[in-house]
Amino acid sequence: SPTDSHIQYERVGADVTMKCGSMDWDAAVTWTANGTDIDESHLNGSYLILKNVDLTQSGQYSCYEGSSWHLKYQTYLRVGIPPKEPVLMCRSNNYPKGFYCSWHLPTPTYIPNSFNISVIHGTREMVCEKDAFPRNRCHIRYLQLFSTVKYKVTLTVTNALGKNSTTLTFDEFAIVKPDPPESVVAKPVPSNPRRLEVSWKNPSSWPDPDSFPLKFFLRYRPLILDQWQHVELSDGTSHTITDAYAGKEYIIQVAAKDNDIGTWSDWSVAVHATPWTEEPMYLTTEAQLTETTSASTSSFMPPPTTKICDKGAVVGSGAVAVCWTAGLVLAAYGVLFI
Amino acid sequence: GDSWGIFTFLCAALCQLPALPALNCTEELGTSQSIQKTYDLTRYLEHQLRTLAGTYLNYLGPPFNEPDFNPPRLARAERVPSATVDLDLWRGLTDNARLAANYRAYSRLLCYLRALDGQAATADLRHRLGHFCSSLQGLVLSIAGVMSSLGYPLPVGPVVGPPTGPPSSPLVVAPNDFLKKMDDFWLLKELQTWLWRSAKDFNRLKKKVPPAVVTLRLEARGF
Repeated sequence: SPTDSHIQYERVGADVTMKCGSMDWDAAVTWTANGTDIDESHLNGSYLILKNVDLTQSGQYSCYEGSSWHLKYQTYLRVGIPPKEPVLMCRSNNYPKGFYCSWHLPTPTYIPNSFNISVIHGTREMVCEKDAFPRNRCHIRYLQLFSTVKYKVTLTVTNALGKNSTTLTFDEFAIVKPDPPESVVAKPVPSNPRRLEVSWKNPSSWPDPDSFPLKFFLRYRPLILDQWQHVELSDGTSHTITDAYAGKEYIIQVAAKDNDIGTWSDWSVAVHATPWTEEPMYLTTEAQLTETTSASTSSFMPPPTTKICDKGAVVGSGAVAVCWTAGLVLAAYGVLFI
Repeated sequence: GDSWGIFTFLCAALCQLPALPALNCTEELGTSQSIQKTYDLTRYLEHQLRTLAGTYLNYLGPPFNEPDFNPPRLARAERVPSATVDLDLWRGLTDNARLAANYRAYSRLLCYLRALDGQAATADLRHRLGHFCSSLQGLVLSIAGVMSSLGYPLPVGPVVGPPTGPPSSPLVVAPNDFLKKMDDFWLLKELQTWLWRSAKDFNRLKKKVPPAVVTLRLEARGF
């Protein structure tokens, strides 16, 4: 039937000729685009000519017989472009369970696309199960571990105007990249103005940290500086920073990697923390203000290594209390050993 | 033409490593420390192999030194011990089986590598291969040490390739230069994969061998 819904796909820039169904060329017709009459200048007889179509010309085109206003033909024009080479990425964030591949198009096509993915391992074709969400993703379970044969993944994207594909070839070990560590927490350490205690958890997607342990990379800097400091940790999920600048707010991130294979994860969510300070800032008196302002200019330089009672480096009256405590402790030990 | 067959035979003879007596030094170190030491050795070898393989594959020339080179595995390559294993099977390996698999694999790989060393055309390659073989031998001995400290018997001499037996079974020989190079390529690939696998094997062993093993042994010896 002439009014059956019909979709027509055309490339951007193409010239489109629409016929009014079975009507003769010289029949009197009226074309509408999305309900609006189309000017006769676009007609060649009863044919509608659209030159050099662009995206704005997508829509419903209808053709009516001149006098009776019967609907003779209707089509939905979708203007788009054939797919460019898709971008494909495969990664194992759950080693040794398997890996996933995800893809996208670098530029939109403006019309529906379908994707087909094939995974070949040696002579065997494997099935990559499509994920419900996100849509452009599928996952594969490893059947064998420690394989010397590469995996070849081909993604083909097809639409009404053309197709394109891309292939990735990789070794099992090359795509191992964990998710970033989770639950990163940074806390000041009471009575320690230069320490920050950082702890985190293994990413929950990593299935077997006992047999496949992760190592970690911690980076931290005070907000006011651009230079990061780094620590690599092969064991444990916590670390104490001992060289923080007193009173400065820090930004801290952690990354993870399988101990032996693959690449580093992305950085975790950043956490902020400030080391313990002796008194709250808003309670500073006049005298202490002058003291802290003069001391703070020197805190931008790397502080010298100090003993507890080195008056030159420690800020505020806390220095005296610490000296006293150290003195008492030493005296106590002395008494014990007599 | 016959050289590969001869090497296979020599390997069978040379590789009858005698069952090693428990080495005194590893007993003192303790089992978990020997496992750690073995793990560290696999990491060291893996790093060494990267340079060695790069040099060797360049010596073989294209396509062997191309990063995308992905040839089909020929049946003849089955002689080289493969690290590939079913996931559940690997998980379920007993400590003994896990260690034995490593021991057998590296013993054979060492033989093949020594053969490669013998044939290498340049002094630089021979030097590198020789150095790597020494380190690899250290690994084999280290694994043997762990096995004996845990009370496991060493696997009896590794089975090296198909027998050069009755006239009906063909001698496994590389009939041409290209296939010989393929053999070398797969040997290096399997060696690399084995080193990656061993790191995981020894991680598992580290967790499963409790320090109590060391304590018990010390008690038995002391009292």
